[in-house]
Amino acid sequence: MATSPMLFKRPFGKTQPLVLCAGALVLVGVAVGCRGYQYGHLIKNDQPDLVGSHSAGAEVFNPLIDETVAKMLGTAEVASQHGLVSPEGMPIQRSVCFVGVENKSAEELGDFKDQIYQQIDTQINRSQAFRAISRRMVDAGLQETRLRPDSLLVPDNMNLFCSVLQRDGQPVDYLLYATLTSGTTERNKSSQRDYLLTLELIDTHTGAYTKEQASVRKGYHSSYLGKAVNYNPFKAWK
Amino acid sequence: MSATGGSVAACSLALILGITASCGCSTHSHRLAQPRQLFYSNQLDQAHEQFDKLSEKKRRSDSSVVELDLAMIELVSGQPRACEQRLRDIRDRWDHLEQDSALESATSMLTDDQRKAYSGEDYEKLLLRVFLTLSSLMQDGVDAESYTLQTIDKTDDLREKAKSKWGDGVLESYRVPPIAPYMRGVLREVSLSNYDDALRAYQATEELLPAAPFLVADIERVSHGVHSSPGHGVVDVFSMIGRGPYKTEVAAQATSDALLIADRIVSVIGQYSVPPTLAPIKVPEIVSSPMPFDVLGVRVNGVPTSTTLPLTDLHALAHQTFNAKRSDIMARAIARRVIKKGAVYVAKDQLNASAPIASLAMDGLGVAWEATESADTRCWGLLPREIQMLRLELPSGTHSLDLEPVVNERPCGRPTQCTVRVEDGRNTYVLGYWPDMQPIGQVLVNNP
Repeated sequence: MATSPMLFKRPFGKTQPLVLCAGALVLVGVAVGCRGYQYGHLIKNDQPDLVGSHSAGAEVFNPLIDETVAKMLGTAEVASQHGLVSPEGMPIQRSVCFVGVENKSAEELGDFKDQIYQQIDTQINRSQAFRAISRRMVDAGLQETRLRPDSLLVPDNMNLFCSVLQRDGQPVDYLLYATLTSGTTERNKSSQRDYLLTLELIDTHTGAYTKEQASVRKGYHSSYLGKAVNYNPFKAWK
Repeated sequence: MSATGGSVAACSLALILGITASCGCSTHSHRLAQPRQLFYSNQLDQAHEQFDKLSEKKRRSDSSVVELDLAMIELVSGQPRACEQRLRDIRDRWDHLEQDSALESATSMLTDDQRKAYSGEDYEKLLLRVFLTLSSLMQDGVDAESYTLQTIDKTDDLREKAKSKWGDGVLESYRVPPIAPYMRGVLREVSLSNYDDALRAYQATEELLPAAPFLVADIERVSHGVHSSPGHGVVDVFSMIGRGPYKTEVAAQATSDALLIADRIVSVIGQYSVPPTLAPIKVPEIVSSPMPFDVLGVRVNGVPTSTTLPLTDLHALAHQTFNAKRSDIMARAIARRVIKKGAVYVAKDQLNASAPIASLAMDGLGVAWEATESADTRCWGLLPREIQMLRLELPSGTHSLDLEPVVNERPCGRPTQCTVRVEDGRNTYVLGYWPDMQPIGQVLVNNP
């Protein structure tokens, strides 16, 4: 056949594109298409938290907790100077029943709710002024009385709940509630959300309460330039 | 034989070898038909053995779906821990495989989509996390809440991806399975101190199931009431009913959307363009068997009490999310056909196979090459069609439950009995699978 010699005598230049294409395909497949692994790293204490792109995270909650608890303990410190002292002259620790964190913000807290509880609980427990009652005791008290956390401010409910804890060796001086709220301002494709954490400390003996708050404002944008457009530092001079 | 004839023969042989190597012996659905039938006939040990043999071939591209079926067998056999472990492994593997592999994509364009490592359909990724929740609840439940959050997060993630690929129109198809927020509500409520979270979760479920009557009671309870009266606990009965969604191969006409996408794919690869019409192409389609009965009637200590009610329609979930990507699947099949035809023409041209016999042989090989292609029917085949639930508040102590299929408000099957121990202020979970009129394996109780 006439085509036979042509097949084998075909100039290399004509087959080269095919060979190159096939080679390139394989190389691209191997080099670009390899699936990567997932990696993790430890974040040093002085490194900033990641800033959540769609909702609040550590960058919002950690400073909120630190500030509100510090304010509350500071107020308690001042009050304790005029309060009861032990025979050794030390201020007597008051027991706090941390009832829980209430989320009234626009966002689902997800796994952060228990984290917030534990952080507040631990910081209170470390203070000289207060002694936090174990969460397990609080949960057991709620289970036994079948009272809703938000119904404990009704005097009868409060007495019942406190008497159950007192029976178990945990007298309650204060009830503590943490409430997270948010306020959202929309502007085209950007929005600003103000997060407010409020701690309410209620004296179970007198019914008096103190309240401390801290807030963090955060902007959300659909593009990287959104921040520059909406929070332009030069705008403040106008 | 002339030199050209010899060359064509050699090339033909190479093509035949290539085709043989590239095509599977049978489709996924055929391969698993027998063990799945064993499962449905309640021969769990035999089914497990057969699936186990298939899963040992780790390099098989469908090993993960075989393992999903194994996890299902383990769950209904009363081994939720083994089921959870297996599902966790698959979840992590699929998360890794979600990244694109250009090599696999290129190979799949020469063979079929089954050449790609299977990273699960979107509905399977969500349901995998739902079953992780259920299998955790059937033990100590320590990770159940995390799994519900993972399901919600995964839905958000898939919605974002779907939106960027196919636009806002598909968002309606990508909705969280209602069981996920509902389970979160159940778990937050039983903590007795997080009624606000439970309310949010039940409200989110109500948005997905506006007609569900039990949600009205749930929302009212967590808004103003308590989990249960003193001295009482709650039994949550979860029933999996019917044979769930699976993929089957169908011959479909190319749609205009698919032709458009295919044209984009082909134009990237070469100078060829997609013809305006094509013979039908093989694509997978989601199908489910009809429900064997409506709901499950529950008798408590012999007294007819209530029935389970639909919580998640797995068929609808699978159908909606799969339809969103149907044009893409079709486009790939079209592009593949064009590329294969193009490759045969190029081979003919390169080999100068102008003689009628050589040309016919090459055409025949091209047809054989196309014929080896089959639709990707890999799927989690042992899913139920629907998950239903019933919440019962009962006094603390041991109770006997009879679960019986109900059609048109009348019992129509043999009841299955189980014993539950109700604890004051706690939840007890019951889970069973009725693909047909009888349950498979055992009805699981986390607190028997």
